[in-house]
Amino acid sequence: MSQGGKIRVLIAKPGLDGHERGARVVAYGLRDAGFEVIYTGLRQTPEQIVTAAIQEDVQVIGLSILSGAHLLLTRKVIDGLRARDARDIMVLVGGIIPEADIPGMLEMGVARVFTAGTPIGDIAAFITEQLRDAGETLQAEQTE
Amino acid sequence: MADTKKKIREALTNWEENVLKPRVKRFNLPESPTRFYTPLSVKKDDFLGKVGFPGQFPFTAGNSPFDFWRAYARDAALMGFRPDWGGAGKVGKYGGFGTASDYRDYLLRMHAMGRTGGPNIAFDLVTQCGYDSDSPYAEGEVGRVGVAIDSFRDFQIIYEAYTGENDIDRVPSNYTINAPAAVIIAMYAVLAKKRGIPLEKLEGTPQNDILKEFIARGTYIFPPRQSMRLFRDTCVFCTKYLPRLNINSIGGYHIREAGATRIQDLAFSMANGIAYIEAGLEGGLDIDSFAPKFTFNAFGGSMEIYHEIALQRAARRMWATIMKERFKARDPRSMLIRQPITAHIGCSSTTLQRPLNNLARAVVGGMAAGMSGAIPGAFPPFDEPLGLGHSLEAVQLQLDATRIMLYEAKVTDVNDPWAGSYFMESLTDETEEAARRELDVIERMGGAVAAIENGYMPKAVARSAYERQKKIESQEEFIVGVNCFTGENEIEVSINRVFESTYDPELMKTAEDRQKASLAALKRERNSTAVKSSLDQLRTDAGNEQLNLMPSICACVEGEATLQEICDVLRDEFGEAQPIKL
Repeated sequence: MSQGGKIRVLIAKPGLDGHERGARVVAYGLRDAGFEVIYTGLRQTPEQIVTAAIQEDVQVIGLSILSGAHLLLTRKVIDGLRARDARDIMVLVGGIIPEADIPGMLEMGVARVFTAGTPIGDIAAFITEQLRDAGETLQAEQTE
Repeated sequence: MADTKKKIREALTNWEENVLKPRVKRFNLPESPTRFYTPLSVKKDDFLGKVGFPGQFPFTAGNSPFDFWRAYARDAALMGFRPDWGGAGKVGKYGGFGTASDYRDYLLRMHAMGRTGGPNIAFDLVTQCGYDSDSPYAEGEVGRVGVAIDSFRDFQIIYEAYTGENDIDRVPSNYTINAPAAVIIAMYAVLAKKRGIPLEKLEGTPQNDILKEFIARGTYIFPPRQSMRLFRDTCVFCTKYLPRLNINSIGGYHIREAGATRIQDLAFSMANGIAYIEAGLEGGLDIDSFAPKFTFNAFGGSMEIYHEIALQRAARRMWATIMKERFKARDPRSMLIRQPITAHIGCSSTTLQRPLNNLARAVVGGMAAGMSGAIPGAFPPFDEPLGLGHSLEAVQLQLDATRIMLYEAKVTDVNDPWAGSYFMESLTDETEEAARRELDVIERMGGAVAAIENGYMPKAVARSAYERQKKIESQEEFIVGVNCFTGENEIEVSINRVFESTYDPELMKTAEDRQKASLAALKRERNSTAVKSSLDQLRTDAGNEQLNLMPSICACVEGEATLQEICDVLRDEFGEAQPIKL
């Protein structure tokens, strides 16, 4: 994981869903908030996303899904990260996600689901806090 | 006249000095929060040139003195007509899910309940992107946002629900599909041939608007230029053999929903429309032989009711002028923006927060529609952003709101009620001028295709979406219940919502496996030599830019080549469009 410098985020559109307003707006917003943002563009397979995340050395993947295929696609990304020993990359999901599906997604290992109307500032704050907490835990473990 | 204007100008100066300025000063404002329009606001008072009569050039006041729904409004009230059940103009309700047989069975159930109208098909993303259900790209997506069509066999299965009274020479077919539209149109033609129905009797509308897919909706397959060759071929084929079928349905709606401003929506729609017209002309067609079969899906919408009415007026005038002056159309039907609705708020104006408020929002859109030439449709139902489909209550409230505006408020008893308003004529002029300036930018790049290839239009839309988001987050723009009035004194008003069982979730779960099994059976059973030779012919024809591909696509369809096999040949020949990054 990169030390110092900007937090690196991959915004990704898995599957065939073409609605990219949310993905693009969040990408611009996080960039303006001081993050290093890479946007995959449409129609990426979970494997492509995992590979891109590892190659780009990101700390966070933001998946944007509005097609209803969120459960399967998210699971595949998380399984792919686990298989490549990269489960330390935080996975966030945004889009049209029915309330009932959110607990299952959190259980799967998604750090947070952001639905429509979320201010980008909230997303930025969540990422920063989580990574700070994770950094402190890591530091504590290393000191022990 | 000049004397009157002089008097008004003097009076205006007097009013600004003695009434407006003291008021602004009293409230300690940098400027007036409101505006007032006078005859001086309208640059040129030219009623016949700029407004005209409903149904006459330049169509600012409307496409006709009244539409079919207005003619039958009384009958509709007396018989309790339910537009949401399908049947308006014989067009059925938009839908589709699961396998072809799942959707056929659903349609048969609906027909038995009196919910008729022609097929109005939503295709799953796999089909829209030119893949088959057994493609690795298909996993998890088969039959989800629409029905899966892998081959002509699936297409025929759906149409088993349309025979006799509902046969394809009696009801129109609508297809929301773009990149593989040529394949679906070919299926429709082959179906007619198999049923012994003359092609010239076929009616309906394929969306067939690939350019906006690159700007907004994302279901593209081939690069823009090659996609336009397919459009040209469908345009020529439909004009020659399926003259009653609409050729396309041009959408600014998707562009605006993706974040475009109103002006970008109008300018980009015009640029795309021009590109399609040029493709037809390049195919050797006379302008008036095909332009009347162009339709528009809808422009985008917003809560800004005055601006949305102005947009509709400006769009009608702009398209009519482009068609008449630039393309030398003579038939007035070539000059019309034929669209099922006019103004609306757009689904992106609805909020997840306090969702019942969306009913109030939809009514604003309905008023804008009613005052700009359409049925005053309150759209969408308030529960649109909840992502679970529309409840019976939400649909009932939506329908009743529309009826109240139509029958009680009598919103549509007057054509273009804003005609002659100093404010509205001025705003219409401003809207048209701004869109023309933006269209000029695109024209200087070489038109819509060039402005997609160089990323201009898609990136402009993404930028505008972000600018809008920033305005909301900085409270420069207010959205009730989202970025203001969110304190503890506000409560969430909710009502019970009942859902009609539409698509069986159990069928949805197994659709992918069943669809893959029937695709495997097809591949075993069909004549693979014939399939190969039809695909080879398509490949040869694709290599010659001058040839129309529709005959060879029809042959592939008839020989039961799959949709992906057809698209794969074209992918090899045309290449694939690359995703647009930021």
